[in-house]
Amino acid sequence: MDLSFLKVLERERVLEVLHRDKHLRKIEEERIRKMKCDLQDLRRKGAKSYARQYGERTCARCQRPLGKFWNTGAVCRGCSHRICSRCRVGVADWKCTVCHAYREVKIRSGEWFLEEKAKKFSATKDKYETVGEKLLNLYTVQRHIAVVPPTPPPHLEQDFRGKFRELKNSKAFTQSMEDLKDCFKSHIRKFSNSQHDVRGDLLTVDLNQKGTCFRYSTQKSLSDTDISKSCSLSKRESLPNLFKKSKDSDHEGSSTGAEEETSFSSEHSFNHRGSIGSIGTESGVFEGILVTGEMELAVAYNSGSSCLEITVGACRNLTYGNSKKKKSHPYVKLYVLPDKNSKLKTAVKKNTTDPVYNEVFKYNIERHLLFGKRLQASVWHSGPLKRKVFLGEVLLPLDGWRQENSTFQGLYWYPLCPKTETGTAEYNGH
Amino acid sequence: MTDGDYDYLIKLLALGDSGVGKTTFLYRYTDNKFNPKFITTVGIDFREKRVVYTASNPNGTTAGKTFKVHLQLWDTAGQERFRSLTTAFFRDAMGFLLMFDLTSQQSFLNVRNWMSQLQANAYCENPDIVLVGNKADLADQREVQEKQAKELADKYGIPYFETSAATGAEVDKAVITLLDLVMKRMEQCVDKPPADPANGNGAAKLGEGAPDPKRCAC
Repeated sequence: MDLSFLKVLERERVLEVLHRDKHLRKIEEERIRKMKCDLQDLRRKGAKSYARQYGERTCARCQRPLGKFWNTGAVCRGCSHRICSRCRVGVADWKCTVCHAYREVKIRSGEWFLEEKAKKFSATKDKYETVGEKLLNLYTVQRHIAVVPPTPPPHLEQDFRGKFRELKNSKAFTQSMEDLKDCFKSHIRKFSNSQHDVRGDLLTVDLNQKGTCFRYSTQKSLSDTDISKSCSLSKRESLPNLFKKSKDSDHEGSSTGAEEETSFSSEHSFNHRGSIGSIGTESGVFEGILVTGEMELAVAYNSGSSCLEITVGACRNLTYGNSKKKKSHPYVKLYVLPDKNSKLKTAVKKNTTDPVYNEVFKYNIERHLLFGKRLQASVWHSGPLKRKVFLGEVLLPLDGWRQENSTFQGLYWYPLCPKTETGTAEYNGH
Repeated sequence: MTDGDYDYLIKLLALGDSGVGKTTFLYRYTDNKFNPKFITTVGIDFREKRVVYTASNPNGTTAGKTFKVHLQLWDTAGQERFRSLTTAFFRDAMGFLLMFDLTSQQSFLNVRNWMSQLQANAYCENPDIVLVGNKADLADQREVQEKQAKELADKYGIPYFETSAATGAEVDKAVITLLDLVMKRMEQCVDKPPADPANGNGAAKLGEGAPDPKRCAC
């Protein structure tokens, strides 16, 4: 789609209209931003704290205590939390304040429309981009190119090509490539032979490492020592995982059906299978489950109260936990890795692949301790008999946090990944 | 001219054959003026209007409340040569004013084509549409009978209005009806349980109230 079929004057006319549209869009974006800010503030008020016991009977929104016989509260249909009578909107078909506000924002921001549109035009990359916007951008870029000729001086390119050929033909380069391959082959073999219960995803890391080495070697032929160094590096990185892994197995051994243990063991077993699957096919299939969908998350650090505030907004397009019966009761589990005691969970949403949670979690931690920590947000299907099925996860690095005391750290949709270390690599850039 | 002091931004789009009066219709609606001159629209254009909407849905939680709605009314060229451009804009509109000329049988016959264009290019398979027969004031030149048009509208399950941009008759009503449909669609889209394509197991609809006929199958 472009405007090339129009006459020059016609094109100017259309672009004028599109500029007017852009102006309106800017106003609309600002309005939506404010709306989402307000929603975030509302969510924060009802933030669940890690320190607070889950069994305690309090209203999930205002945190006032609920009685056993009087003022007992009732469960909100939207979020399944117990809500006191003051935090409800509507009479018969009431919702809690947050669920109500969430619904309002979805309508008023036009989010409903974008979602419907995305269902039909699923190929569209950016669902927020309108046709007018796209055309305008296209034309602005074209005009820019017309003014600034992008062709670089020709001699530069030739020079580069020549050097590249030189490098490619050099014996050292080919030699090092061979060495590199051998080294990795043996390394991987050793790894999988010696460590029977090694997590598969370690192998993925190694493979990645291989990739980077190759790239590196094209610039500067690596000597053997360099290669082995990089190998040991990848091995060292994997040690904490091994340790964690054995800890998990211990838990599994002592499992008595308690919820904590069950989730550990199931997580472990899926780790294993999931990662093997990802090596073989890279598609994340395991136990017949293909990880699909996205999770809406916001993470902010509150320096005032020294805590990490994690908002779990919603998930969408999840795969079925029980693919035969087409059922899913998803909930989200949060860990601040590597601390395995930091578990926080959302409510379980029944019979949905697009659950809305709107829950805020607080994790008390000093800012500097966030260094090296990662947020693991995994979605699980809560099946019968406490059987849990892994539906995907998001891993976010928590260091490199720059927003000081940000009042609003936007909710973003993150694609769910199968349980692999490659998922982490993908997010390191964010 | 515009500020962000509104509750909803609703994008509607007028379509139909060239010369049926889309531009004059929108001009009448936004400025309450009539321009009898025919100036063909180049590709696309839009007009804006701020209206106050009163929720009429008795079941909804928003019943009786009033909202400020900012309408963005897209005007499209009816001419064939702009077709690829205009149809591309269909997907960003929430509701449609499908217009024909009551004094032109051909423009009425083309309604069918416009409908299929909408199905292919709009944001969903069955978007909210209002059928509008314009130029109702030119009674002596009339070629399309009300019954005929009404039947077609019923076939598609959409409302039908006979308007006149010249006199302003029914213009507001047609737009407000469409706005009302879109406003109701929004509520439905948000409240409906997540689509269950394999089996629409009613038991899964958690606490779903009276199962009203779902218009929104998108």
